[in-house]
Amino acid sequence: MIYSFVIFALSGAILSGICLALFSPFVTLRKISYMGEALSHIAFAGIALAILSGLNLQITTTIFVVFISLMIGILSRKFKLEEANTITIFLSVSMALGITLISIKRSYVFDLSSYLFGNVLFISKGDLISLSILMFLNAGFIWLFFKELFYLTYNQEIARVYRIKTDLANYLFLILLAVNIVINLKITGIILVTAQLILPATIAFRINKRLIPAIIISILTAVLSAAGGFYLSWIFNVPTGAAIVLFEFVLYLLSLLLFKS
Amino acid sequence: MIEFKNLSYSIDSTAILKDIDFRIADNEFVAIIGPNGAGKSTLIKLLLALLEPSSGEILIDAIPNHKWLKMNSIGYLPQKEIYDRHFPATALDIVLMGLAASLPLGKRFRQAHRNIAEAALEQCGVLKHRNSLIGTLSGGEFQRVLLARAIVSGSHYLILDEPEAGIDQKGVEGFFTILKDLHVAGKTIITISHDLHTLSKYCSFLVCLNVTLHCHSKTELLNSEVIHKTFGDTIQLVDKHY
Repeated sequence: MIYSFVIFALSGAILSGICLALFSPFVTLRKISYMGEALSHIAFAGIALAILSGLNLQITTTIFVVFISLMIGILSRKFKLEEANTITIFLSVSMALGITLISIKRSYVFDLSSYLFGNVLFISKGDLISLSILMFLNAGFIWLFFKELFYLTYNQEIARVYRIKTDLANYLFLILLAVNIVINLKITGIILVTAQLILPATIAFRINKRLIPAIIISILTAVLSAAGGFYLSWIFNVPTGAAIVLFEFVLYLLSLLLFKS
Repeated sequence: MIEFKNLSYSIDSTAILKDIDFRIADNEFVAIIGPNGAGKSTLIKLLLALLEPSSGEILIDAIPNHKWLKMNSIGYLPQKEIYDRHFPATALDIVLMGLAASLPLGKRFRQAHRNIAEAALEQCGVLKHRNSLIGTLSGGEFQRVLLARAIVSGSHYLILDEPEAGIDQKGVEGFFTILKDLHVAGKTIITISHDLHTLSKYCSFLVCLNVTLHCHSKTELLNSEVIHKTFGDTIQLVDKHY
C-alpha cells in the first residue's frame, strides 16, 4: 500500500511522456516547439481565472487555453500574421492577465514550484484515467488524420491547393495540443511539458529520418526518460520532473554523438 | 475554359493587376510572360483562390474558381515550394500528395496509388529517386517530382509558375518536352516563364502581362514591338542557337 503512490507516479510520468511524445514529431517539424511553453504560460491566465471565479480549475483552464490556441490559429490565418508573433503576443497578454487576476485575489498564495515542476507524487487514479483517455485520443487522432497532418506539416498552402483537409486537421491539432498541455501541466509542470514536446522527436529524427519510425522512437524515448528520471529522482531524492528532463537531455547528447545529422 | 473577367488586385492602394480580361481555351499551352513585378505569380495565386481579387472574377469551366476548386483538383507547380529540406518525405510521398484528396479520412495509400505515382515519376524521368528523401534531390530533380505531383492530381489543367527556375538549359528543354507531351495528350497548360526562346518553341498561346494585359494571342502573332511594350526598354531580343 505504501508503494501505490509510487506506482501511480511512475505510471503518470510514463503516460504523460507518451501523450506528449505522440505530438512531438509534428510540433518539431512545424517548428512550433515553443508552443508548449507558450500554451503553458497562457494556461496561467486560465488558472487565475478559475481561482478568481471559483470554477473548476481543470475545465476552466482547458477551455481558456483551447480558446486562445484557436484564436492564434484563426487570427494568424485571417490577417496573414506570423504564427510565432501571434503566439508571443498572447503569451505576454495571458501572463499579464494572470498576474492581474491573481493580485485581485489577495488571499491566494501562488505555488510557483508546482507550476514549474508539477507534482507527480500527487497523481491520483483520476489523473491516470484522464491521461490514459488522452493517450488514446492522441493516438486515434494521429492514426485518423495521418496523411492530413503529414501534408499540413510539409506545406499547408500547397496541401490546400491539393484539397487536403488541412484546416480541420490543424484546428483539431491545436485543440488537442492545448488539452495535452493543460492536463500535463498540472501533473508534470511547465518544464517537463516543454521538454517532452521537443526532446523525444529531436532524438528520434537523429536516429531515423522517416516519420512513423520517428513517432515510435519518440514514444520509446519518452518512456525511457520517464522511467530513468523517476529512478534517479528516487535514488538521489530530487524533484521527479527535473530528473526526467536531465535524463532525457543525456539521451539527447548521446544521440548527437552516436548518430549523424 | 478559364476566363479572367475584369480582374484587378491591389495591395493598399498599389495596383498589382488591373482590368485583366481574357480567356484561355481548352487544350492550349499558354505562357504568361512579363518583367519582374508584373503580377504574373499574383495572377496564378488568384486563379488558385490563394488570393482574393479586389474586383472582377475568374471562371473555370463557367464556374467561379473558388467553387470549382472545392470540387476539382488542379495540378500546380509553384515558383518556389517552401519546404524544410530535412522534412521526412520521399519523392513518392510528395507525388502521392496529388492523390490525397481522393482518399477519405483514415484511409492509407494503397499499392494502386503508389503505382499511379510511380508512373508519373517515370514520365518525369525521376523514378529512380522514388525512395529518396526530398532533401537529397537536386533543384531540377525536385521540380520534376513536383511536376509528377501535378500530373497525378488528374486535373485537366496544369498551372506552373516558372518551372525552369534552378534548372540548366538542357534540363529546361527536357522539362518542356514533358509538358509538350502532356499538352498533346489533352492537358491545358498555363506556365509563367522568362525563357522566351523555349516558350516560342513549345507554347501555343502567349499572355503578356505588366500590371495590365499587353497581349493575349497565338504565339506566332507575337512580335518584338509587343515584347518591348510588355518588358519596357530593358529587353533585347537575341536569336539563340543551341
